[in-house]
Amino acid sequence: MPLIETEAIVLRTHRLGEADKIASLLTRQLGRLRAVAKGALSRRGRYGASLEPLSYIKVWIYDRENRDLQRVGSAEILESFFEMQGDYRVQLAAQYLAEVSERFLPDREVNERVFRLLLVVLRALKRSGEINRPLLFFDYWLLRLGGFLPDLSRCMGCQKSFAGQDGFYDPVAVALVCENCRTGASTERVSASALGLVELFRRTRIEQWIEKESSPPCTQELRRLLEQIIEAHLEKKLTTRALLADAI
Amino acid sequence: MSEYAAPLARLIEELKHLPGIGQKSAQRIAFHLERAPREDVQRLAEALLDAKDKIRLCSVCNNLTESDPCEYCSDPRRDPELLCVVETPFNVISVEKAHEFRGRYHVLHGALSPLQGIGPEQLKLKSLIDRLKDGTVREMIVATSPTVEGEATAVYLARLVKPLGVKVSRIAMGIPVGSDLEFADEVTMLRALEGRREM
Repeated sequence: MPLIETEAIVLRTHRLGEADKIASLLTRQLGRLRAVAKGALSRRGRYGASLEPLSYIKVWIYDRENRDLQRVGSAEILESFFEMQGDYRVQLAAQYLAEVSERFLPDREVNERVFRLLLVVLRALKRSGEINRPLLFFDYWLLRLGGFLPDLSRCMGCQKSFAGQDGFYDPVAVALVCENCRTGASTERVSASALGLVELFRRTRIEQWIEKESSPPCTQELRRLLEQIIEAHLEKKLTTRALLADAI
Repeated sequence: MSEYAAPLARLIEELKHLPGIGQKSAQRIAFHLERAPREDVQRLAEALLDAKDKIRLCSVCNNLTESDPCEYCSDPRRDPELLCVVETPFNVISVEKAHEFRGRYHVLHGALSPLQGIGPEQLKLKSLIDRLKDGTVREMIVATSPTVEGEATAVYLARLVKPLGVKVSRIAMGIPVGSDLEFADEVTMLRALEGRREM
C-alpha cells in the first residue's frame, strides 16, 4: 500500500462515526478521491484546520487502487481560505466551486489544469471579495477544459455568427440558437453584450479580469447561461446555485 | 430470502438506520438483544418510546426538553441578559460542562452549509431575532464550532444582530489544553494569537 504525497484542495468533508472524517479531495497527482482521516474531529486530532473545506493542503495518502475510500496519513496546510467565511456571499461562491468540482470531475482522473483553475479562482475570491467575475471565469474554463462548452459565437442550427445579435439558449440541445432557429423550448434570451463578454475575458488572465474597476453589467447573465449548461451536463440541479441566486 | 428469521431481519434493518451503525454493528446489537432478558429489552423499548413521546423543543430556545419552557429558560437564577447561541442541543451540554456560563441558550439546529442545502432559512434564526428584539439580551455569545460552517454562521449572525444594538462575542479559538504548540497549524495559531488576553 504506497504512501503518496500530493497537493490537494479539500472539496467537502463528512463526519464518520465519533471522531473521524471523510474528506473529498481534488488532488494534483491522483485526481478526485475520498479518504478517511482517523481522529480528525477529536480534540487531540493531528489534522487541525487542514481538512476544513477549501483548504489547499499537502497530503499523504495511503493509496489502495481497488478501494473507493483511501486513508489520509497526514496533512498540512499550504494555503487556507478559512478567512473567506467572513462574507456569506463569498462563502456561498466558494462552496459552489467545491460542489461543481466534486460533481463535474470523474473519480481519479488527473487534471492538472482544472486543479490550477480551482486554486486560482479561490485565490481571486479571497483577494477581491467579488463573486461574479471569478465564478464566470471558473464556469467558462471548466466547461471549456472539459470539452462541454458549446460554440457561443454562432447559432447551433444555421451556423450563422451572432455578430451583435442576441442568442437563445436551447436546453434540449444545450447550445445557443438564433432568432430564426429557436424552438418553443429556447425561451431564454442571451443578450449580444453578454455574448460579447466571452471574447473580452477569454484572452485575459484572471488577475487582470478581476482587477477591472467594476464588473461588466452582463457578467451575471453570462454566468447564468454557463451555470445552466453545467447543470444540463450534470443532469442535476446544483444546491449552492439556488442559495447563491437568493443571496445576490 | 433473508438469512435471518423475519423479525430478526427487521430489527437489523431498523438498527441500520441509526447513525454510525452498519450491517455488522446492527447484527451484533440485534443478537445481543435477542439473548438479553425480556425485561431488559422491554425497558429499552419503553425508554425509546418515552423519549420520543415526552421530548420536544423548548418554545423559547429550541433546546430538547421535557417541560416547556426548558430548565435553562425557566431558571430565575440564570442571567437573561446573556445569551449563548449554539448549533445543536449537544453543544448546550458541552458549554454547561464548564460550569462557568450562567446565561441562557438559543439552539440553531444546524450551521450554514450551502453544500448540504442549509441556508439561513433552515436555521432557527427568526425566533432568535424575536428574542433579541425585546431588548433584554445585552450580549450574545456565538458558540458555533470552529469549522468553516461554524465560522460562516457566526459571521452571518453577527451581521444580523449587531444592528439591534446587542453586543456580539465569539468563543475563543486556538490551541487545545493538553496539546503541543509544535502541532498547531497556521490557522489555529493565527486564531490563538488573535484571541490572546492580557495577563
